Amino acid sequence: MTKTIELSGVQQRFHARGAAGGYLTAVEDASFTLSPEPPQVVSLVGQSGSGKSTIARNVLGLQKPTSGTVKYGGKDIFKLNRDEYDDYRRNVQPVFQDPYAIFNPFYRVDRVLWKAVKKFGLATSRAEGLALIERSLDAVKLDPDRVLGRYPHQLSGGQRQRVMLARIHMLRPAFVIADEPVSMLDAQVRRLFLDILLDFQREYGMTTLFITHDLSTVYYLGGSVMVINRGRIVERGPVDVVMHEPSHPYTRLLLDSIPQPDPDQRWTGRIEVDELSGTAEAGTPKATAPETPII
Amino acid sequence: MRLLTATGHTIRHSPRLATGLALLALMILLAVLSPVLVDAIGNGKDPLELATYERWLVPSSDHLLGTDQFGRDVLAMVISATSVSLQIGAIAGVISTVVGVIVAFVAGYKGGWVDNVLSTFTGILLVIPTFPLLIALSAYAKNVSLFQVGVMISIFSWPFAAKTIRSQVLSLRSRPYVDLARVSKARDLEIIVTELLPNLLPFIGVGFASSALGAIFGLVGLEVIGLGPGGVIDLGQIIFNAINTGALTLGAWPMFVVPIVLLTVLFAALNMINIGLEEVYNPRLRGVAGE
Repeated sequence: MTKTIELSGVQQRFHARGAAGGYLTAVEDASFTLSPEPPQVVSLVGQSGSGKSTIARNVLGLQKPTSGTVKYGGKDIFKLNRDEYDDYRRNVQPVFQDPYAIFNPFYRVDRVLWKAVKKFGLATSRAEGLALIERSLDAVKLDPDRVLGRYPHQLSGGQRQRVMLARIHMLRPAFVIADEPVSMLDAQVRRLFLDILLDFQREYGMTTLFITHDLSTVYYLGGSVMVINRGRIVERGPVDVVMHEPSHPYTRLLLDSIPQPDPDQRWTGRIEVDELSGTAEAGTPKATAPETPII
Repeated sequence: MRLLTATGHTIRHSPRLATGLALLALMILLAVLSPVLVDAIGNGKDPLELATYERWLVPSSDHLLGTDQFGRDVLAMVISATSVSLQIGAIAGVISTVVGVIVAFVAGYKGGWVDNVLSTFTGILLVIPTFPLLIALSAYAKNVSLFQVGVMISIFSWPFAAKTIRSQVLSLRSRPYVDLARVSKARDLEIIVTELLPNLLPFIGVGFASSALGAIFGLVGLEVIGLGPGGVIDLGQIIFNAINTGALTLGAWPMFVVPIVLLTVLFAALNMINIGLEEVYNPRLRGVAGE
């Protein structure tokens, strides 16, 4: 049961008109291993366009990398046989960023949960399935009566995102790939969401790859962190170490970018985002090129 | 069932949809009952047979719309012509919608070289001037049946549907809910049918309506220049006769006016249904919040 997700040398290019060479490199030489023993939270931090979501899509098998491999249990996820594929799907599940787009507007929200029940054979009868769904909705602090039978547009963003968590609760995957799950939630719901995620880690042993641009949520979740800049993982380590002794200039910049909730501490220095990305392009030596994966 | 109640609900709340459906239902009823009605008008005789009555009778209580140059009853002709026009619309509409939808989904969802090949093919068909080719085809194939004409028209009308639907598929296939379906082990066909198709119903509806109307008017166009299928009278043929014999100068205005009015009504009805149905397709407008 202790299968790992292993990325080695993943590179992802996209065709892009106007870019040098006619393509854009979203991810370059990404290598890391996610292990479910012990269950942990691994955060992947970077700014918009740094390739975080592309890595999530690679891990979820939604996007085949241009080169490099994504392995689950030691086998390339694009070459799994039927049983292995079922196992992989069951154990690697996402929470996506946009709670508005994740539901097909044509159907009621129940469908997402019923689909999980049916596709993964979680229940043998309708009553059993319903009980399971209600239990999972309870686990994410949602009232089944107020959610079931509703259309997506009738729920708030926080409710919708928690329905996705209920889905995770039903499936109990070993790995949760959470791609900016809280970026569109307000502060209070965000906290609730993160707490539920931590509960899942503790109670069901789920390992979470938490993708975000927000270092304060990383700090809250703890565990370890990888910093990605322009498609490259530039720094990695335990959250405490990286947050207090950042070794890469980009990490320092990210840390400086956290607004302090204190009016007296407002923006002591300006952040030059453009300057940094400009020098990175010119080919500054990679301060901490990813050594052996710590995680 | 839920969809049915929703549809009923929408019809009651959308005068446009109700009007469109009523008009279309009326025309279909007319078409279905056309043999009976024609019999009733003939009153023992066949009103569509040549020289059944006097030629060029003006509208009267015996012949509500008068008779034509061969002594046929114009009302009977119009009724059976409506049936023919609706048939051609249905045949061509169904064929071109089905072909268009399949091509669009395969191209849009699969992408890559499949999309390139299909899109190029669709594009080629789109730029072929349809009408001259239809004229050539009809002139070449003597005595074509109604169904054959329908197929001929569909060959050139499906690319329009395919083009619009493909672009929608392209935008929908990258939606997160498609990704979610994929990680829930849904197969491609399942995703197309259950995730994408319902959201594209308005576009498919529009595609069907425009193909059907295109076919009806295409046939009218062929008939007006005298190249329609043999053995049937459609609305276009009546117009053709009216133009050809100078019916307007002979006081037989119904031969000209009535088919045109019927075509206009059909056009309006299909469009009203289409716009009205938007409310059924879009669950936000179904008004279920209070239920």
